[in-house]
Amino acid sequence: MKSFWQPTLLALLLSVAGCATTPKHQVVLTGDIMVDAPNAIANGPPRDRVLWEYRLAAAAMRRGQYDLAKRNLDDALLTLGGIYGKDKSAKEARSYFHAEAKKTFIGEPYERSMAYIYRGILYWMDGEPDNARACFRSAEFEDSDTENHEYAGDWVLPEYLDGLATTKLHGDGSDAFKRAQAIAKGVTLPPYLPNANALFFVEFGPGPTKFATGRYGEELRFHTAPSPVTSAELKVDALQIPIAPTDDVDFQATTRGGRVMDHILGNKAVFKSATDIAGDVGLIGGLTTAAVSHNQTAQEVGLGIALAGLVSKVVSAATVPAADTRSWDNLPRYLSFVSLPLPVGQHVATLQFCNSAGQVLPYLTKTLTINITTTDRDKVVFVSDTSVTPQTL
Amino acid sequence: MVLLVAGCASSGVKNPSGIAVTHMNADEQGFVAGTGVESQDLVMVADKMSRSILAIPQIANAATPPTIVLERVDNQSRFPINSDIFLTRIRAQLNSKALGKVMFLARNQMAALEKERNLKREGTVTASSDPGIQEFKGADYFLTGTLQGLSTRTSAGTSDYILYDFRLIDARTSVIVWEDSAELKKQGLEDAAYR
Repeated sequence: MKSFWQPTLLALLLSVAGCATTPKHQVVLTGDIMVDAPNAIANGPPRDRVLWEYRLAAAAMRRGQYDLAKRNLDDALLTLGGIYGKDKSAKEARSYFHAEAKKTFIGEPYERSMAYIYRGILYWMDGEPDNARACFRSAEFEDSDTENHEYAGDWVLPEYLDGLATTKLHGDGSDAFKRAQAIAKGVTLPPYLPNANALFFVEFGPGPTKFATGRYGEELRFHTAPSPVTSAELKVDALQIPIAPTDDVDFQATTRGGRVMDHILGNKAVFKSATDIAGDVGLIGGLTTAAVSHNQTAQEVGLGIALAGLVSKVVSAATVPAADTRSWDNLPRYLSFVSLPLPVGQHVATLQFCNSAGQVLPYLTKTLTINITTTDRDKVVFVSDTSVTPQTL
Repeated sequence: MVLLVAGCASSGVKNPSGIAVTHMNADEQGFVAGTGVESQDLVMVADKMSRSILAIPQIANAATPPTIVLERVDNQSRFPINSDIFLTRIRAQLNSKALGKVMFLARNQMAALEKERNLKREGTVTASSDPGIQEFKGADYFLTGTLQGLSTRTSAGTSDYILYDFRLIDARTSVIVWEDSAELKKQGLEDAAYR
């Protein structure tokens, strides 16, 4: 009988242990986003799908693969727009025994806003300025629930572009322009030129990423590496236009303030700490009582307390207060925009990126051949300091 | 043991067997819902507008069926959508239910129509009538609309109000002969893990 139960019990334990630790979705990363992202979207954990779609969309835009970017952003924004109500993964992320990263990733507000900004650019590229405007409004909307209301809805470019799209659609964009100007403290925004048919969206510098601090990694923090690029200059035909940053993504990431989830993670950390201390007290107190006492009842009580302490330690060890540090890690630091009228024909544009001393960084210079076929429709040009070059648009 | 292992492999997975395709009416809210424009909104708005258009004297009492051209709907909401889908449904409703009381002109296919007419004029293809005569009809009315929204987001949740406004404009006088609107408000609150 004994020989039957021992292997059975062993097999049972192995099966349970194996089951709990076998990863369901394993993705081997190569370091090439154009390989890793499609692989992760297809075979990785569903909770990370939106994260990889964001990353792939940004990478695709810099390669001029706008259809690929659209597909991924559309799918990501569908998830983002339908996040209301009960969500099992989010519920688990709030529980003591699961990490926050267990939830379906939709990103922090600055990441969600960037998804809408990119999609807005792509809509405008397709000749749909009203849908572009809708995206810019959603980008601003995603940023509207900050802890400090001074920083709510304070993206400059989406507000400015909202007004520009309205102006181009024969509406009155002056209110949006005023709002944008009020947000852009210390920077004078250029007035709208209704005949400006060439729109340049420019981004540069490495954007923010997340990390965790605190005893249990329960505090979400942001890190942004110093940007080698702080401005740019556009040369088209005989024109030479300096480009200063309009929006700072790092500023957007760090001014959101505390999240509701931060309170939950704080509670988890307190629980983990309290159960750990209670476990120590129970174990030490119980074992000491059991060891020094000559009374059997006292020994049994001591062992009972020690057992309770052990359980408390196990509960503490199982509590996961770690903040979710999954980041849309290929975002830019700065966004900017230039619009100008270009006649029908071919134009060669050069975009130079400059450091804080105003010196051109030649290895980042982009050359664009722009074909304007009509002045009835805007030509939208997207350029990043990491874009491929040369490009023909 | 087998039961244990089988059960364990899919533990923690929501609907591990998936959900079979569910047929739903376009006017009912499904189990996938956001605060944006959805099919039930489209059906409600388009049906209301179709009925409203048919009731106006310019259509109901017209001696000959008026011709209507669809103009692009201006989406001023925060939701990127193909807003022309509203006009498509209104047109389909009127064409199928109004028994010829109105006629729509296929202006969005003018390039193909002109090409065909030119082929007929050149004699490249046959024609059942004199292709030299101008038979493309002019519009009596333009049907267009606007989607406008008001959105609020606080710690209590997200609220989206959308006003769907449609107008019939006399092409000769620019008078708005008909206007009607529908409004919808949706609210939702995401899980605290996302706030």
